[in-house]
Amino acid sequence: MITIHEIWVYLSGSPLLALILTLGAYQLGVLAYERAARNPLANPVLITVTLIAVTITLIGMPYAEYFEGAQFVHFLLGTATVALAVPIYNGLGALRGRVVPLFVALVCGGAVSIASAVGIAALLGADGTILGALWAKSVTAPIAMGVAERIGISPTLTAVFAVSTGILGAMLARFVLDAVGSKAWWQRGFALGVASHGIGTSRAFSVSEEAGTYAGLAMGLHGIAGAVLIPLAFRMAS
Amino acid sequence: MISGLVQILLFQGAGELVSNFLLPLIPGPVIGLVLLLAYLAARRRVPEDVDRVGSALVQHLGLLFVPAAVGVVLFLPQLRSNGLAVALALVVSVVLTIAVPALVLRVLARPR
Repeated sequence: MITIHEIWVYLSGSPLLALILTLGAYQLGVLAYERAARNPLANPVLITVTLIAVTITLIGMPYAEYFEGAQFVHFLLGTATVALAVPIYNGLGALRGRVVPLFVALVCGGAVSIASAVGIAALLGADGTILGALWAKSVTAPIAMGVAERIGISPTLTAVFAVSTGILGAMLARFVLDAVGSKAWWQRGFALGVASHGIGTSRAFSVSEEAGTYAGLAMGLHGIAGAVLIPLAFRMAS
Repeated sequence: MISGLVQILLFQGAGELVSNFLLPLIPGPVIGLVLLLAYLAARRRVPEDVDRVGSALVQHLGLLFVPAAVGVVLFLPQLRSNGLAVALALVVSVVLTIAVPALVLRVLARPR
């Protein structure tokens, strides 16, 4: 007679459980997002992460064990970063005649992102680990984690901040962009991509193809620039 | 489909190698991205297979962030004791980081 306990022991020993949990929760997250008529507040990644965090806490699965199974999904983040070359390449044609404004916007956005986050957290007395992990938060998570490793900061905490930033940006962008009177899709998309990288880009693509292309372009350019400049700036600042 | 994946993985591998031996400051996937971009620019088009795999990956980028983001459970105590600082820093910063580029573009961009 096989008991439920035996089945459970078998399942939790294989990466399958974490994989099913990750993909299943994501499926629910996307379903909820669609049901909510793609309302930015029903962010699919936020729903997914919350579902999984609650589940592994309830079943007492340590994060390390969860990650062991979920690392197959995580690994693809690097592959997806490389694949960003495709939307960037497709967006390059759109760059023509807009190179200067886009680069100025990118540099200003990147600088504001770091200065405001690190500045506010420092003023409010956050500790050093937290401050360090805020540096790369507007850069897409795989690059942010790479940058964090290179400057001796926790990659996991950096990823948490990067994903939170992505989610917040995707949720708030519509309201912020309307408030500053941004109308053109390409400008709205680019601004969202600078601030909230991949998650902002998925959001932008789900609203408008043009916004998505520019968001992808912004994320890619910010990732490349950030990978080079953030470690240099961090070393100068510390 | 498979050939697109293989090509992207090859660029990822090349990027990792360059990062490891030549440019340790830049993460491997970023170098892979730049190399793939150079390859696409040289070919002047995106091969259909690469386009299909690339689009699928980028479309579900959100999913790929999930395993790392669930790491939030490790930092809950630390985040709780710095809660206000972290929340304000993240929210204010993301609002400014969206607003500033949008304003810059609105001011600098001339209609074509």
